[in-house]
Amino acid sequence: MSENRTHISDKKWDQVVKAMNRREFILSVAAAGVLTLTPRFVRAAADKPYKLGLLLPVTGTGANYADGAIKAVTNAAAEINDRGGFLGKHPIEISFRDTHTKPDVAAREARDVISRDDVQTIVGTYSSACAMAIQEIIHERKVLHLAATSNSSKIVNENYTPYTYQFCPNSKMQAGSVVVAVAEMIKKNNWKTFVTIGQDYEWGRDTQKQFVTSLAEKSPDTKLEKELWFKLGETEFSSYISAVMASKPDFLFGAIAGKDNRTFIRQAEGMGLFKRIPYPGGLISVTELQQQRRSIPRGMIGLARCPFFAHLDQPLMQKYIKMNIAKYGEDAYPTDWACMHYDAIYGLEQIINKIGSIETEAVKQGLKGATIDTCRGQATFRDCNNQLNIPAGYVGAVWDSPDYPFPIYNPDTMVIVKAEEVWTPTCDEVRKLQKNRA
Amino acid sequence: MTDRRENDKNWIGRLYDWAGLSAPVGVILLVAFILVPVLPGDFWTEVGTEVLILGLFAMSFNLIYGYMGQISFGHAAFFGLGAYATAMLFRYFSGGTGEITTWQFVITLLVGPPVAALGSFIVGIFVIRLTGIYFAILTLAFGELIFFIVFSWYSFTGGDDGIQRLLPPAIFRDAAVYYYFTLAIVALATFIMWRITRSPFGYVLRCMRENPLRTRFIGINIKRYMLVNFVVAGTFAGVAGALWGPFTRSVGPLLLGWQEGGIAVFMTLIGGAGYFVGPFLGSIVYTFLNAYVTGFTVYWPLTIGVVILLIVIFAPGGLMGIIDAKISQGWFGLFRKKEPSENLNRLKTDEEAGD
Amino acid sequence: MPLDPGLLFVQLLGGLSRAMILFLLSSGLSLTFGVMNILNFAHATLWLVGGYVTFSVFSFLAVPLGESGLVLVLAILIGTALMVILGYLIERVLIRRMYARELPEQLLLTFALILIFGDLIKLIWGVEDRSIYFPIEPLEMLDTFVNPYYFVVLAAGVGVAAGLWWFLQKTKYGKIVRAAVYSRDMVSALGIRIPLIYAGVFALGIGIAAFAAGVFLPLMPMALGVDTDLIVQCFAVVVIGGFGSIIGTFAASLIVGVVYSFSVLIWPDGALAVIFLIVVMVLIVRPWGLFGTELRY
Repeated sequence: MSENRTHISDKKWDQVVKAMNRREFILSVAAAGVLTLTPRFVRAAADKPYKLGLLLPVTGTGANYADGAIKAVTNAAAEINDRGGFLGKHPIEISFRDTHTKPDVAAREARDVISRDDVQTIVGTYSSACAMAIQEIIHERKVLHLAATSNSSKIVNENYTPYTYQFCPNSKMQAGSVVVAVAEMIKKNNWKTFVTIGQDYEWGRDTQKQFVTSLAEKSPDTKLEKELWFKLGETEFSSYISAVMASKPDFLFGAIAGKDNRTFIRQAEGMGLFKRIPYPGGLISVTELQQQRRSIPRGMIGLARCPFFAHLDQPLMQKYIKMNIAKYGEDAYPTDWACMHYDAIYGLEQIINKIGSIETEAVKQGLKGATIDTCRGQATFRDCNNQLNIPAGYVGAVWDSPDYPFPIYNPDTMVIVKAEEVWTPTCDEVRKLQKNRA
Repeated sequence: MTDRRENDKNWIGRLYDWAGLSAPVGVILLVAFILVPVLPGDFWTEVGTEVLILGLFAMSFNLIYGYMGQISFGHAAFFGLGAYATAMLFRYFSGGTGEITTWQFVITLLVGPPVAALGSFIVGIFVIRLTGIYFAILTLAFGELIFFIVFSWYSFTGGDDGIQRLLPPAIFRDAAVYYYFTLAIVALATFIMWRITRSPFGYVLRCMRENPLRTRFIGINIKRYMLVNFVVAGTFAGVAGALWGPFTRSVGPLLLGWQEGGIAVFMTLIGGAGYFVGPFLGSIVYTFLNAYVTGFTVYWPLTIGVVILLIVIFAPGGLMGIIDAKISQGWFGLFRKKEPSENLNRLKTDEEAGD
Repeated sequence: MPLDPGLLFVQLLGGLSRAMILFLLSSGLSLTFGVMNILNFAHATLWLVGGYVTFSVFSFLAVPLGESGLVLVLAILIGTALMVILGYLIERVLIRRMYARELPEQLLLTFALILIFGDLIKLIWGVEDRSIYFPIEPLEMLDTFVNPYYFVVLAAGVGVAAGLWWFLQKTKYGKIVRAAVYSRDMVSALGIRIPLIYAGVFALGIGIAAFAAGVFLPLMPMALGVDTDLIVQCFAVVVIGGFGSIIGTFAASLIVGVVYSFSVLIWPDGALAVIFLIVVMVLIVRPWGLFGTELRY
């Protein structure tokens, strides 16, 4: 960690963000549809292209996460196409659709890209409800589904289909990681009661439920006093925040993601919530660290899914960071969502290379139980539900780093929780949750 | 409002006068719909199914809008109620195995419309007390209320998750089979609606639209007619909703929101509210435009917004209105006889009159 | 629930700030409908445009002048002025054609505007949301913390309410506007140009909304989709209070804001359902709202 490094000023950072966000994004996505990224000279010799569907929201609360993911997928595909595509001869064609964070739209668009564009694989979505809606369709149509942000545990358990592969730690794993950290704090501070607040939709509900049940197992004496739910896109949290303060809990657990997370943290801070009530384990991904770099309370304990700073030693992560900086400017570090989507595309490539074919059934077989290199190290897909065993969560305290213009987690206290520690313990239990889908 | 002269019309013209524009357009549409699955691949068949279901939804909306003259922004609530009723029974039947028999499937479809009818009856009792802008807002408020109930009652409806795993029996999974099944049901529903609009009941509705006061003077209980019409419209919306769930394999609470309701309004407007088949034409245009535009850009709302704007300003009668106007002006010359008859009302030309 | 005065105070303050937000947002809508009989569905969307515009002005000014409250005030003034011009243009080019038309067509036009302006925001500003961060220390009051900016919002709301009331009751122009509500023909016959009044009122409505958006920037992010969430709440307020009545809108905003705020304590899931229930009851029992004129019914 060099002390001499000077960072780009705030102004330049804003420009970096603007450049990343506006131009590229609008140019590459506004004219979305079938994005063909093959260099011209390869086209002549190309075999049948590999069609990929990308379903993410451009509007709604998830847009600020999906942004990085879209870029990751398009950039990864472009890199692969520079080498001629998968196996050197199948250039990737991406069909992008905006899900609007609405499940029926997602289902319709999934059907659309499968019927019209003949995609073999769909990468998506942001919202877990959308992911579950498209699972019906991809299962019926025998299309691969790579999930890299939507992470309700239902996606790999209750709603399981053998065509879905999950690159993101699911909500049970994430909640479990928080429990690991919080259980320590409960013991230390002798906490007795807590309140939860969450987004009233599938992911929020599932995450909260997983946290409450996991915590009950680890620390049965801690009581849940009150559950608060707000609808997606809520802009005014003052009533909720004061309701939390009214209950006077020992700590608060939040299941909030996306834009609402930003709004909530800002407004809560303005009302002094964090001064009165500890808020451990809320989702503080690289996106929050970057976007709220000035306002986010230092020392706050948060949870991330794929923070680049935890894996600087991994070759794939280094490669990705290098590419990102080259494309978007100095200090343009990838977000969690970007990394996970990058992993999805490169994971797919590794399997295709291993089996030497792009046929969906073969790839599906190839992915089962496979071990791949990811930005987070080597990881294996769990046999019974296709969950990748990457770290379940990264719990750390927000801390100013000399290396970056935004805070990261303090490396001295950051805890990386292993998947096997906190996911559904046995495959038998997993199968009980799953319906019978061959 | 035409400049045709009665004597100039041939038998085609007279037939047209009797049947209205909707008849020929309706026949053309029916033939077109029957032929859709001939096109290669499943894509067009799926779009066609969407057009049919949403078209039915729009037609049910038009009973309130075009025929009764009121605009309802909460109509999607009944579409959604039908969809949810069907979905929930579906889940109950398919329970553990995820499979459902054809008979069970039919029963789930039959459950949707009555639930929607009940919902529209309850809402209807309140909304018929108002007209105009207040009617519009009250229907919006009720629609949102029902939406919130469905959304918040997590334990019963699954809330935001919606209801998944609506996999119809094996034969219906084929796009063409489901399409023809839908076509049959929609055609039947449309026929019933046509009979309703052509009945004395339908004409009373038109009366109420044109002059409510006078209608009351001839002894008609407006409130009762409004309620009946509202329930009928809600029921047909429920039919459409029932078909929707198994088609997309899942339902979600947003099906009940005012933005979904807006789709029905747009379709009706585009097609032409003043004509029976207007909403269907609108559904075709809207759905195909949607499928086409989302294929290459994300700016679909902008596109449809501009289309609506232009239609509202320049062609509020919709496409049917434009076609009708053109025909009235002798567009195809189809309706004129070969030799114009000696028309005594015609002014002599200069030539004939001499100088 | 312990009836702790600090808690009640905070909830009340939260409710009041929510009420002011609703009032600032809805007063333009109420005015427009009261005077011109046009229900502008796109009102919240134009509010959102105002927010983005003000943000851009602020960012632009912040480069030479730095980021401070004063710069925000300047940005709000400029942003509001720009939006007033936009409002006038919209009225002249689009709304004016609709006066002679049926209600459904008017509604559809404004509905279409929601879609158009919503996407224009996406086109011009992208999908990132915009907000301003001022490091403000929470104030300690009554054994609890409050965000002092809420008082600014309260002041803005009360200020606008007072200003509108004074304008409508005490100034010549205001009286003309109120007269036009009752009888367009008479006002026209007196030689006052109705189209100009309508354009002015519409522009004023949009201007108030833009002002509101600017004031809220430090508090809540301007983001895609916020407009469609808020417009239904605006309708609720305008219906409960009565179209065209500023007092009504103010009172209804207070009711809706406070009810929502306290609902969160008692029945968090159903806060919005409660609001709609109130709307439904008002429309059934007294459709012209608490303070609306019975003529309008």
